[in-house]
Amino acid sequence: MINIWRLTKIQLLSSFGLNKALHTHDVKERRRLLLLSIVILISVVMVGVVSFGYSFMMALTFEQIGRMDLLLAIMMAVASVIGFFTTIYKASGVLFSFKDYDLVMSLPIKTSHVVASRVLQLYVLNLFFTLMVMLPAGVVYAIKVNPGVFYYLMYLTTLLFIPLIPIIAATIIGSLISWISSRFKGSQVISLILTFAVILAVMFGSFRMNGSVQVLSDMGTQLADMIFKLYPLTSIYVDAVCSYQMGSFLLFIVISVLAFMLFTMVLGTRFKTIYTGITTSHANSKYQMKPLEAASPFFALYRKELRRYISSSLYVLNTSIGMILLLAMSISLLFISSEKLGQLVEIPQLSTYLSKLAPLVVSMFVTLSCTTSSSISLEGKNLWILKSSPVPKQTILLSKIAVNLTVTIPILMVSYVLLMISLRTGWIESLLLLAIPMIYACYSAMMGVLVNLKFPNLEWTSEVTAIKQSASVIVAMLIGFISLVIPFAFVLLLSHVNGNLILLGIGLIMIAVCSVIFRYIRTKGEQLFQTL
Amino acid sequence: MLTIKHFSKCYKGGKKAVDDLNLVIEPGDIYGFIGHNGAGKTTTIRAVVGVLDFEEGDIEIDGISIKRDPVACKAITAYIPDNPDLYEHLTGIQYLNFIGDLFSVSKADRESLIKKYGDDFQITANFGDLISSYSHGMKQKLAIISALIHRPKLLVLDEPFVGLDPKAAHMLKTIMADLCSNGSAIFFSTHVLDVAEKLCNKIAIIKAGKLITHGKTEEVKGDNSLEDVFLELIRS
Repeated sequence: MINIWRLTKIQLLSSFGLNKALHTHDVKERRRLLLLSIVILISVVMVGVVSFGYSFMMALTFEQIGRMDLLLAIMMAVASVIGFFTTIYKASGVLFSFKDYDLVMSLPIKTSHVVASRVLQLYVLNLFFTLMVMLPAGVVYAIKVNPGVFYYLMYLTTLLFIPLIPIIAATIIGSLISWISSRFKGSQVISLILTFAVILAVMFGSFRMNGSVQVLSDMGTQLADMIFKLYPLTSIYVDAVCSYQMGSFLLFIVISVLAFMLFTMVLGTRFKTIYTGITTSHANSKYQMKPLEAASPFFALYRKELRRYISSSLYVLNTSIGMILLLAMSISLLFISSEKLGQLVEIPQLSTYLSKLAPLVVSMFVTLSCTTSSSISLEGKNLWILKSSPVPKQTILLSKIAVNLTVTIPILMVSYVLLMISLRTGWIESLLLLAIPMIYACYSAMMGVLVNLKFPNLEWTSEVTAIKQSASVIVAMLIGFISLVIPFAFVLLLSHVNGNLILLGIGLIMIAVCSVIFRYIRTKGEQLFQTL
Repeated sequence: MLTIKHFSKCYKGGKKAVDDLNLVIEPGDIYGFIGHNGAGKTTTIRAVVGVLDFEEGDIEIDGISIKRDPVACKAITAYIPDNPDLYEHLTGIQYLNFIGDLFSVSKADRESLIKKYGDDFQITANFGDLISSYSHGMKQKLAIISALIHRPKLLVLDEPFVGLDPKAAHMLKTIMADLCSNGSAIFFSTHVLDVAEKLCNKIAIIKAGKLITHGKTEEVKGDNSLEDVFLELIRS
């Protein structure tokens, strides 16, 4: 067991630049890490406040119908769904795509223990999401119900076990996808298609379920039945925490732990086979020289960057899900009204947002698709190739920005046309609907490069660390979020002013911000890149 | 071809990796750079090829300062690191074509040179496979070919013979000699003293960041073997 902990600790230390933070003597580096900690803390507080508010609002309704247990049931289901979705597409990366595989597997450690350490890495990351959802819900429940001491004991203990089953379910699907993909030549593309298919199928399935949901206040029992039927562990959890049933409490823990142990043992027996299948490239060694195509350095870099992007299903999934959702929303709006779509995706204000703030709503999806915030980190040990090349560094950085725009702009254009038709926008609105998301696409891509230059992580052993667990990705996401929240707030607060005028103002400000970032990249980018 | 003037590199924390290094490498030189582990060889090499930033001293390639005009310096330099970490998502030929593009190698030149060196190193048949399927030695061969296709004036290699099979190592030595006879210069680090003794016309020995001795190979080793001289210098 101690080996599982040792392996897990080593992996976690490489996440978020933790080890660097603990051991650096460089004052500048320390200052940067302190700033990063503050940013993360602010994000946690912000998410915590939103989560608390959400729980509190729901509690008001459940209190009226006398079913406060539903609050914990729903939030536990939400935490599980988040855990499931955030794990499904990174499971394969964490489990099978680590560069220190040879080193780890040659150690005198059982394979099942190696698997357990990888799953525990996923667990620790998901525990964070669970705490962000469940802690505020637990506090709201305690305020409203004023439960006995048993509640705190059982609630706090079960918190640690909530992420296990969703992670295992997602990891099984992720491993299956990897195993099936590994049997084909284009394994990455197959893996990408399968993962997208599973995510969209689960999403579609859950929307269909929600379709039968009536108004919250008169459906207490129906809702409970539905959640308990969809995820039976919720029922055991509610019995344990809300009714203090010791049997359910123990059952919940035993099921979670047993599932974890069984999974690691079973996967341990097939681990090497799956790893070999995934990592063994198909080689036919029959190449004969053909005429080659010459290109400019910029185009060569762009093509290389695009190939890098497509070669990683995790990278694609993590950065294109926003654009896929935008396209799905745009297509849906052709067939159903924004009110109905809002009900389906559980965003009741969607219709209002779309009528007033369509350009900002579209921009939100665009900023979710920032490929550049991890693009420099992903160079990893290959960085010497670019650093020793006779190419101005700004050309390298611009090629990364160009790839980001390749991901966002085409889908943005298609969605623009679809939204123009479905929302029946006037010519000024149409212009803003096109221009503002375009500006945000440029802004997001350039800001991602800048943030990654400031917070690089080149010493990763698994690309999951660079794509999902690096400081630059978190900081870029937060900056993107803030860059949208402020304009949103302006439009909503200044409701007496012409909305188009405000959007125009926002567009002009963002153009100014973009030009400042662009000039910074041109002047300081070279220097920052050289110090990497 | 390469002039290193009072080059020093201090790492974070104040430790001097290289201290006031001066070296001149002329066209036609095969210059061996020898030292124990952590002596400062890789630091120097990385600074020469413009991968590592430095504050003290200057490095000139063909009379151009790497600090002042790094792009011009890199255009005439080729670098092969000790560990060939290449883009594993590209095939061998895609990687070579990519390097050809970055160094603006003409279409005709790149096709003929890739074919020539690919055949020399017996790797042409593998060019269509992903680099991720290559062995360490094959990656090393690919890195060497990528360094040669733009006909560098200065070739800088860090432990180039590690991972190469005897035939490929022999081929590399022949290519190095050919390059130098055509006026290029080669600066490389190695631990294989026999190779250095036979291949290099000049040698520099570095210890704890400081240059201990340098000059023509015969003058540095005198009547002894290079190994004896090196061990004696390192001990003292």
